[in-house]
Parts: sequence; structure tokens; C-alpha cells
Amino acid sequence: MMHSFFLLLSSFIIAYLLFSSLSYLGLFAIAFRKVKKENNLVHRESTDVLLRNQNTYPVSILVPAYNEEVGVVSTVRSLLALEYPQKEVIVIDDGSKDMTSEQMINEFKMVQIPFAFRTHIPTAEIIAIYQSSIFPYVRLIKKANGGKADALNAGINLSSFPYFCAIDGDSILENDGLIKTMKPIIESDGQVIVTGGSVRIANGSTISRSKVEVIDLPRHPVVIMQIIEYFRAFLIGRLALSRLNILLIVSGAFGVFNKERVIQAGGYNKNTVGEDMELVVRLHRLLREEKSKQRIEYVPDPVCWTEAPESLDVLKSQRIRWQRGLFETLWTHRKMMLNPKYGAVGMISMPYFLFIELLGAVFEFLGYFIIFGGFFFSLVDPNIALVMFIVTILYGSFISALAVLLEELTLHKYPKVSHLMRLYFWALTEAFWYRPLMVIWRIQGIFAAFRKKAHWGDMKRKGIST
Amino acid sequence: MNIYFFWVLIAFLFLSQLLLLLFLSLRKLLINKKEQSITQEYDLLTESFSSYMMDPTDDRFLKEISISSNQTIVLEYLLNHYVAVTKGSANSPQVAQLSEKYLTERYKKQLKRRSWAIRMNTLYFIEDFHMKSLTPLLKEKLQKSFRLDQETQQLIRTLTSLNEPMTLSVLARYADAPVRLYIDVFKRLQLDIQLEELDMALKNEHNNKALKHAAVSYIGMTGLIGFLPRIEEELLSDDEELRIQALKSIQHLQSISSPSLLTPFFHSASWQERMFAARIAGKLQLSRYQEVLSELLGDSVWWVRYSSAEALTQFADGDILLSHLSANHPDRFARDMATQWEASLLGSEE
Repeated sequence: MMHSFFLLLSSFIIAYLLFSSLSYLGLFAIAFRKVKKENNLVHRESTDVLLRNQNTYPVSILVPAYNEEVGVVSTVRSLLALEYPQKEVIVIDDGSKDMTSEQMINEFKMVQIPFAFRTHIPTAEIIAIYQSSIFPYVRLIKKANGGKADALNAGINLSSFPYFCAIDGDSILENDGLIKTMKPIIESDGQVIVTGGSVRIANGSTISRSKVEVIDLPRHPVVIMQIIEYFRAFLIGRLALSRLNILLIVSGAFGVFNKERVIQAGGYNKNTVGEDMELVVRLHRLLREEKSKQRIEYVPDPVCWTEAPESLDVLKSQRIRWQRGLFETLWTHRKMMLNPKYGAVGMISMPYFLFIELLGAVFEFLGYFIIFGGFFFSLVDPNIALVMFIVTILYGSFISALAVLLEELTLHKYPKVSHLMRLYFWALTEAFWYRPLMVIWRIQGIFAAFRKKAHWGDMKRKGIST
Repeated sequence: MNIYFFWVLIAFLFLSQLLLLLFLSLRKLLINKKEQSITQEYDLLTESFSSYMMDPTDDRFLKEISISSNQTIVLEYLLNHYVAVTKGSANSPQVAQLSEKYLTERYKKQLKRRSWAIRMNTLYFIEDFHMKSLTPLLKEKLQKSFRLDQETQQLIRTLTSLNEPMTLSVLARYADAPVRLYIDVFKRLQLDIQLEELDMALKNEHNNKALKHAAVSYIGMTGLIGFLPRIEEELLSDDEELRIQALKSIQHLQSISSPSLLTPFFHSASWQERMFAARIAGKLQLSRYQEVLSELLGDSVWWVRYSSAEALTQFADGDILLSHLSANHPDRFARDMATQWEASLLGSEE
């Protein structure tokens, strides 16, 4: 009895892992053409046209900050250097306990102003609004603590322009990053309401004055694995979903939104840690319910660099938070799941995120359990454990290794042959150490979703710009 | 479950990945080598190139490039860098001459390549280097295209920059051609032809709305003050969008022949019209409208309140007015807005 149960479970998980591997390949096939098509474009040329066009929509840049005294000034400085015809920068100090506001006020000679803003979305109490006397389009909101989503909503209330983007304090946007991300919006004359820009890991590379000078790999295996993970997620998953107009994630690090639409949807949701994904799903829902032709698009070209955690502790809390956010979003919008009324978002991407991104961890965990049980405790036939082992390697290591190769085939952003070799061989080790760790943390994340408490993620920053 | 099947599967996948890895590494090695040699040559030729661009009698560069092993690529890099950093390089005879001599054949081939990115890049370069000899080929290509995709759009821009106003009539074939593309075309025309085409566009004999909007917008953007009376005529148009565009242009031109033309817009049903009227009154310091601006400070739309207050700051007595309004305006939102702008005036004087 017990044996046949485990046999059944094993067959199911093996089938699941094989099916997921195949679906990854299918998704990549969809994305491949677009990556290949646009990769060799001389981008200075293609964005130049927009830069000179005065009808390019102005953008408000929101920087939510909580205890960011180390990085906030350099983030704002890098934003000032962005090539864009008309922009404003709004830093929202969400009740920091350190000197975040003071740093801003001193550096940019800010003075308090009685700003008459519109409350589109209710937020925690606004304590004061400051404006720089050097750059009048740089503002600071000091408010009571209310979480990242609340900070972003306050930023939306204060912003004056029709589009906004949100950028984390630990990210560096490339000089032409904003114009590249706005390009689909401008060229579609507003039919695209959200664009997400590809985010890359900055560790190892040299960045100065918002420009990546030398692209190199970091030494730390944990960070290398995260780079491989990004390849896998961005090249395989997101791009394909964007092609089908069913992308559910616009990375927390960089996205541009149509403000009116966001306000209409009710702004960021304060009750989830995955506020960016939740908002995108809500916008999808709005579009489908209105039967609108507007869409959400993803820009494959990297525009934004972020610092990946090097310590396992920080990585752990990040992954638990991500998984919890994913769970909360899927739960909030469970009505869309497998509901034909929501088109491909309901029929393909919601199930994709549920079965592959969320529950994948559970199935993989059971897989590892059966491997151990089979080899050491004769829980199942060792042959079946062996098959499970092979399929786990296929799913964990080979797909990642393939992602590395596909990146080289299309984008080849890491310049040296040794980079390619290192990435490839580290990818092969994934199933043996990195994936099991992720699986455990992701399961913890699912549990964490049941014990709600929104808070800012803790990240020990070293600073990525020199 | 047959265990051998899985062993074979994984062995097969592993081997094919290794093969792919080998291939990609070799490719990377070759590409890197090629790039290195190009960079070396680029560095080597930079000095004689710059010297030739400044003084064409120093023809060392011509000799060096004629024996270069990466001739076309290095020249493309050099010219591309030159036009990117040098003002007025669009009319440089050296750029045209060098590109015509060494790049024409290459670009002719590239325009027929299957890779979309290569064709796009080629179109950009032809525009940047002003390669007139390719005009017939580009025209032929444009006649063959029947969709206004990104490539056709760039084709239109490139051809216009080679001074071919026929692109406007091609563009008119597409009912959904965006205003922004018409503006791009106007921008690239030579001044005399540009004025002629703007005049035609304003007359709008073919009833092309996008073209007319683009003309009105472009005139404002570039400050072609000679067209002011024509823009003012559009204030009487039935088309609301066009009236708004005309107001926007007047704001940019910073001029109006008779301020009374603005009067009806302060009480328009469209908030954009009220907003632009307020902005113009501020920019041109039309003090006769101070009272109506104080009224608009209590408008129901935030942007109108904002722009009215901003307009009041432009007047010499703006600070006194705003300070009075911030205390005495009957509308609460108006008082807030006045307070904000009054403070901004103080801030700017610190």
C-alpha cells in the first residue's frame, strides 16, 4: 500500500518535472525570435530619435526609501544624469529611523514647501514635503511609516506627470534606461500602459556615473547562481509571457506605469509584500474586464543594475518574501485562475505561476525526499529513485545550463570565454546545492504567507557604484 | 519505467550541450579576436582620421584606410563616433565622401539582408552619414513596403533627411500614421522645403488631421514665429484637439497678436484649454487677466489651479497677489495652491 502510494507520487513528480522542462523549452522558443531580432540594434541610434522629440511623455521617478542613508543620494544623483527630456524625481522617506531625509535635504539644499497635492490614493500621514533649491524637480516626501506600497502611493499622489516609474534605492539605472523603457509606450501612442525593463546583477561589474564600464563575473558562487537564475527567468519565462501579452511580473527594480490606469486600479496594495506583481495582475484584470486593447510589455534589453545579496541570510529572507508575495497575489486574484473570461492571463499565466513558480518548490521538495528515501530507506525502488535523481538534474541543472548557452547564443553580454565556461559549469552544479536551498526557502515562503506582516526587506548594502 | 531510457536521454542532452558549449566558445573566441583587431586598428587610425576631418589636405588617413584589413567596419566606427560628438557634422563633405566611397556597396548589400537589426542599423547610418547616392534604392524599398512598421518609419526618416519631401505623400497613404512621425519628417526637411510643406499642411487640402496637428505642433516647438497668424486662426477651429495644440504652440512661441483672442478659453468647457490659457497669460504677463487667473485658482481641475498659480508668479506683483489669495480666496484648494506657489517664490530667492 505504502509502496504503491510512493510509486504513484514518484511517477507524478517525474512527469511534472519533465513537463515543466518541456514548457520552459516551449517558452524559450517563443521568446527566441524577439531577442535575436533586436539584439544587434545600435541602440544609441534608435533612442536618439525619441530623445529629440518634444512629444515624448514626461515621467515622474519615484524612489521609495526606508533607512537608505547610505545610498539615497547616489541613487538620486544617478537619476539626475538620466537622458530624458522631462522628468521629476520624488524620494519618499517612509518613516526611516536613520538620516535618509537629512542626507537628501543637505545634499540638494532642500526647503520645505506647502505642496498642494491630490490624494488619489489614501496613505499614511504626510509629515512634510521638501523641494530642492538647486534642482526644482527633485522633491522629498517625509511620511509616517506605512510600508513600500504606501510610500509608492504617496509618490503617485505627489507626482505631476502622466507616467511614473518606481526604482529601488539599491538599483542603478543606465543613462538611456528610462528612454529605452519608455520606447514601447511612446511608439504605441499610449496603447502600452506598463513596461518592465530587464534587471541585471551588478556584483562583479564596475559601474561608475550610471554607466557600466566593465562587465565581469563576481567571485561568489551564490551570486553566480543568482545570475544564472536571472537568465533562466528573464530569457525563458518573462520574455515569452510578454510576447503573449500575459506577463505577470514587472520586476520590483524597474518598471514604467501609466499613472491614470494605476490610480483607476486603486494604486499599490498595502497588504502584500509582492506589491509590484499584484499591481500588474490587477491591471491585467482591469484591461480584461474592460475588454481593452491596451497591453503590458517587457523590454529585453537590460536597463537597470541591481545589487544581489551575497550572504545566504539575506538571500533567504528575499526568497521567502518573493514566494510569499507570489502566493498572496495568486490568492487575491484566484477568481482569474482558469477563468476563460480573463483570456490567456487566466488560462495560461495564472496556472503557470501557480504550478511552476509557486508549487514547483513543493513538488521539487517531494522529489528530493523520494531520492533520499529511495537510496537510504528503501521508501521506493532504488531504480525509481535513480530516475527521479536523473530527472531532477535535468530540471535543475540542465535547463539552467541551457539558459546560459541560450544567453550566449543571443545576447552574449559577458565578454570572455572564461565567463561562459564558469557560468556553464556552475549551472551544472545547481541541482546539488543551490536548488535544494531555494526549494526549502520557497516552501518557508508559502508558510510565511499565512502569517502576515508586511515589512521592508532587509538588505545589507555595500553600494554598487564607485 | 525503463531506467536506460533516462540514462540515454541525459547522456544525449549532456553531450549536445557540450557540443553547443564548444561551438559557442569557439565563436566567442573568434569574435573577440576580430573585435580586438578592429579596436587596435581603430585606435591606430584615430589620429590621422581626426586630422583629416579637420584639414582634408592631410591625406595620410586616406592611404591608411585604403590598406586596412577591416576597412569598412573601422571606417563605420570612426564616422559614427565623429557624427555623434561633432555638431554640424551632418553636412560635412568628408563624411559624405568617405562613406560614399567605402560604404555604399556594403550598405546596398546590408539593406537586403535577412536580419532586421542589420537593416535598421544601416538605415540609421545612411541618415547619419548623409549618403545621397543610396536615395534611389531607398525610394524603391519604400514604394514596395505596405506596412508602417518600425523599419518603414525609419526608412521614411532616412529618406527625408536626404531631402526627399515625397515621404510626406507616402506617409499620407497610411491612415494611422502618428503625429510624431510627421514631426520627425518636418524636422528633417531643408528649411525652404520645410516652410513650403508646413504651409501646405496648414491649408490641409487633403483633410489630413495628423499632418495638420504635426505642423501646428512643430511650428511651436521650433519657434517659427512667421506662422503665428496662421496658428491663431486655428484657435477658431471646431476641432478641440487642434485648438489645444494651437494654444500649446502659442505658449511655446511666447507671442500673441491680440491678447483678446485668449478670452474665450478661460471659461472653456475643456480643462486643457483653460490650463493653456492660464499658462499663456502668465508667460506673456498679460496683466488684464490677473483677475480671471485668481478665479481659476479655484477651478475644479488640479492642473488648472496649478497653472493659474504658476502664471500669477510670473507677474511683478505676483508674490503680493498670491499672499493675498492664500489668505482670502473663498476656495480651500485655491488657498492651498496659492500657499504652495508663494512658498516656491520665497524658496527661489534664498
